[in-house]
Amino acid sequence: MSKGLTNFAIKHPWWVITATVVITAYFAFQFPRMKIDTDPENMLTADEPARVFDRETKENFQLHDFIAIGVIAEDNAFTVDLLNRIYRITAAIEDIDGVIVDDILAPSTVDDIKQGPGGSIVIEPLMGGEIQTQKEADYIFRRIQENPILRGKLASDDGKAIAIFVPIESKDQSSRIAGEMEQLTKKYGGNAKYHIAGLPVAEDSFGSQMFAQMAYAAPATFIIIFILLFVFFRNLKVIIAPMVVALMSVIWTMGLLIATGNTVHIMASMIPIFLIPIAVINSIYIISEFHGHYKKHQHKDAAIRHAISELFVPMLFVSSVAAIGFVALAITPIPPVRVFGLFIGFGTMVAWLLSLVLNPAIAILISPKTLRKFAEADDTKGILSRLLYSFRAFSKKYSGKIIGASMAVIVVSAVGLSMIVVNDNPVKWFKKSHPIRQADMAMNAHLAGTYMNYLVFSGEEDDDMKRPEVERYIEKFQKFLVRSEIVGAVTGLPDVIKKVRFEMFGADSSKLALPTNQDEIAQMLFIFEMSGGDPGDLFKFVTPEYDKANVWVQLKDGDNRAVSHVVDLANKYIAENPPPVGITAEWAGLPYINIVWQKLMVGGMREALLLAFVIVLVMMISLFRSFKWGVISMLPLTITVMAIYGFIGYIGKSYDMPVAVLSTLTLGLSVDFAIQFIQRLRTAYRRTGNFEQALHDNFEGVGRAIMRNVLVISIGFVPMLFSSLVPYITVGAFFLAIELVSGLVTMLLLPALAWTFHKSLFPPIEGAVATGHSLSRKEKRKAKREIRKQKKLRNDK
Amino acid sequence: MNKMMKTLVLTLVGLLLFGSAVMAEDATEIMKKSHLEYYYAGDDGVANVIMTITSKRGKERTKEFVMLRMDEEEGGKQYYYTYFQKPSDVARLTFMVHKNPDGNDSRWIYVPSVDLIKPISADDKNSSFVGSNFTYEDVSGRHWSEDTHKLLADSTIGDRPVYVIESTPVKPYKGFSKKLSYIDKENYLPLLERYYDKKGKLDRVFRADKIEDVDGITTMTARSMENVKKGGKTTIVFSGIKYNVGLTKDIFTERYLKNPPREFIK
Repeated sequence: MSKGLTNFAIKHPWWVITATVVITAYFAFQFPRMKIDTDPENMLTADEPARVFDRETKENFQLHDFIAIGVIAEDNAFTVDLLNRIYRITAAIEDIDGVIVDDILAPSTVDDIKQGPGGSIVIEPLMGGEIQTQKEADYIFRRIQENPILRGKLASDDGKAIAIFVPIESKDQSSRIAGEMEQLTKKYGGNAKYHIAGLPVAEDSFGSQMFAQMAYAAPATFIIIFILLFVFFRNLKVIIAPMVVALMSVIWTMGLLIATGNTVHIMASMIPIFLIPIAVINSIYIISEFHGHYKKHQHKDAAIRHAISELFVPMLFVSSVAAIGFVALAITPIPPVRVFGLFIGFGTMVAWLLSLVLNPAIAILISPKTLRKFAEADDTKGILSRLLYSFRAFSKKYSGKIIGASMAVIVVSAVGLSMIVVNDNPVKWFKKSHPIRQADMAMNAHLAGTYMNYLVFSGEEDDDMKRPEVERYIEKFQKFLVRSEIVGAVTGLPDVIKKVRFEMFGADSSKLALPTNQDEIAQMLFIFEMSGGDPGDLFKFVTPEYDKANVWVQLKDGDNRAVSHVVDLANKYIAENPPPVGITAEWAGLPYINIVWQKLMVGGMREALLLAFVIVLVMMISLFRSFKWGVISMLPLTITVMAIYGFIGYIGKSYDMPVAVLSTLTLGLSVDFAIQFIQRLRTAYRRTGNFEQALHDNFEGVGRAIMRNVLVISIGFVPMLFSSLVPYITVGAFFLAIELVSGLVTMLLLPALAWTFHKSLFPPIEGAVATGHSLSRKEKRKAKREIRKQKKLRNDK
Repeated sequence: MNKMMKTLVLTLVGLLLFGSAVMAEDATEIMKKSHLEYYYAGDDGVANVIMTITSKRGKERTKEFVMLRMDEEEGGKQYYYTYFQKPSDVARLTFMVHKNPDGNDSRWIYVPSVDLIKPISADDKNSSFVGSNFTYEDVSGRHWSEDTHKLLADSTIGDRPVYVIESTPVKPYKGFSKKLSYIDKENYLPLLERYYDKKGKLDRVFRADKIEDVDGITTMTARSMENVKKGGKTTIVFSGIKYNVGLTKDIFTERYLKNPPREFIK
């Protein structure tokens, strides 16, 4: 098969090029149909119970995702000027498309229950119109402070911050709406800082920024890789192939993904960045091998054939192993991860195929004149060669120490692994300096929080939520939960009942308590409905049938860890203090959904990684037809995965979505060097029968290619380190770490093991010719002695 | 003026104008007539009301109450008295409104569980009436002078010819930015109303579900309001309607809030 493909490519280079270009064009034409989906909620299947319940909750209580605007003043936000500006901004926001006008929470829209003229009770907007005097401004602040439903949410206790909560029809509009709101804050602004925050903004903006970043990072990476390849091979035409292979693999994969009707999720958006190194690595091996052979024999055809026949098996294995690592992701319960795994698996194989046909096809078209220069490109005396030499010498001299050090790394990494903290927060996908992060920090420092979870208490019958013991239970629960530092406010139906009762009795603070009988509870709520209170406001805390109550748990911290902590705290309280008979409690809300999918993902990724590991091990054993070599070949990837994740554990970086997904990439990329190194080492040994000779040749041949790969991939992705999106930085850092660690392990530990255990790893081969031109006489004698000894041993048996 | 006579005359006038077909009736006049027909039928009235509120998720809850109304003057001041019977946890709760077309209404509530009468200030007539999709204004009427009216091309609702009138609030108003009323050319009752929000989106739709003759007065005995934008619907069904029962002004005072007039409320 390898010969057939290569022969075809050599004979009909234009056919191959035309065919691949046509297919590429077909896939490229799918791109305009691309649908972007940056909603982390879609990490869960639509029928996932947590998501179904969240949707029901939003339906039942008419809740919407919201964007929060924080207005933060130097010393007092409650001035005539600023309040009037906020009034105008709010009015203008109402005109923005996609905003749920009736549910905006702002000083001018929220209702205040208070004492009216003639001992009456009145419910009316807190700020009915623009104000004239500071007294009015102070009054508005005081009313917020005296209203448990508003306090902390609408204004900070120090009066420096005011919040506007803007509910939106759908999350995928939040980036646009946030943009329009920003324009308004600029237009009507004033002497205060305006921040726009909220999970939907972060999630939706991530989508648009993602593409902006890609537009800069991808070409930059391409250029750097191109330059590095040029440095190595000094021939523009030869190095076109790797670039074309990478580009085409990306287009085919993304094209197929789009053509099959899949949405481009945050995960899938990373496919191009993941595919580029995979695609480039293959070509570097081919070109290196081609280069080595051509330099010696100056025969184009032969050099190409030689390179492919040498590389076909290892490349096939490397690619299938990497592909299997990705396809293993299909067992995770997270749809976007499944899509990601399957398609990048496909892309890996496409890259393999294209490298096999395009490299020969392009190489054959290059004139001998051009190739002469290519052949002259010689880095045998460069840094690369010196490094190779040091590795070779070092691994021989300190083989024992290298093995010991590797074991130490494993142990130390294991400790680090145990320290890994699972955590994520879409807001933190942006760098600290990003306005979204700034807004998040500023608002959560001043106000009750921009992260909203809901705890829904459900009864068995209508009116259950009017039962006094149920209301008392919810009230106690609220008091308990609000003590947590992460929790900014816990608001529920008891607050409404108490507030109405308090105002009903002429603002008598002794009446700021729950009634003891159901009729009074029902009638207090009835008064709320009768006296101009918006039933829509009330029914955000309770269903109109009073069978479910919704407690708003507002968090200052949206980290999954913090959210989990609060959820655990609440669940523990409920377990220890069971609610009245027939009442159950369940969570909803975006932050809660995020911790649900994170749990699924962490578990899913662990399983996928273990599965991939086992499959790869089995493949390795069968590839090398040796259990020992199979195990040894797993060492670079094992140590790389452990070292990187152990390091993450030590530095306390969160194990988040990108870090989790990268585990399979680490596996796929870091097995590469080991396969190439061992497979070619054993081939060389079979050819020469001399282990030292084989090892030496291997350093010169594949070792050089590995070094080139390490440099190309680790340096090529440096532009990603300057991204403003944290997941992209993480990916860039991972490429660097994967290449360095697995390169080091391959170049040091594998030879060290070979030296230490060469007797059992390299059984003598009958009839093999030891050319040994690079071995000293002493070494040759030693090798011969070895062979004799082995024979004798066998004969003795 | 006798109510029946008035209806007759108006109908005759209406028919005449309709017959002449050349003179389109002035939109404001039509709205005024409709308002008087609809909200000021008889000099007073008693009715049992069943209000069914259907939520967006299809769940129903009902409220039952007795309603008394007395007009002080046609198109002018009115008194409403509402005595709640169901749901049982708000039974005996009473609610009274003195409607003042020129200014703010006065409202009082009696809360039996704490035995307290409390005045309720309500500047906002657009707020929900007892948690339904109807607003206070829908129940007691929006004065025709608060909007400018425009007569659009005639239409029919079912087999009834109607005037179609577009109303726009004179002052910016939270309740609607535009309203289309479909007014029966014969009896001047609104058969259909469409309310549009600030953004011009259809917000709520009012429908006359049943129109009957009660004591010689054409009366809408069932009506509904659907919230198109948010979902949910409220229907109000009247039964046992009696007109001109001789209600007196003293019934509409605080004294009767605690002790409902038993001759009208059983």
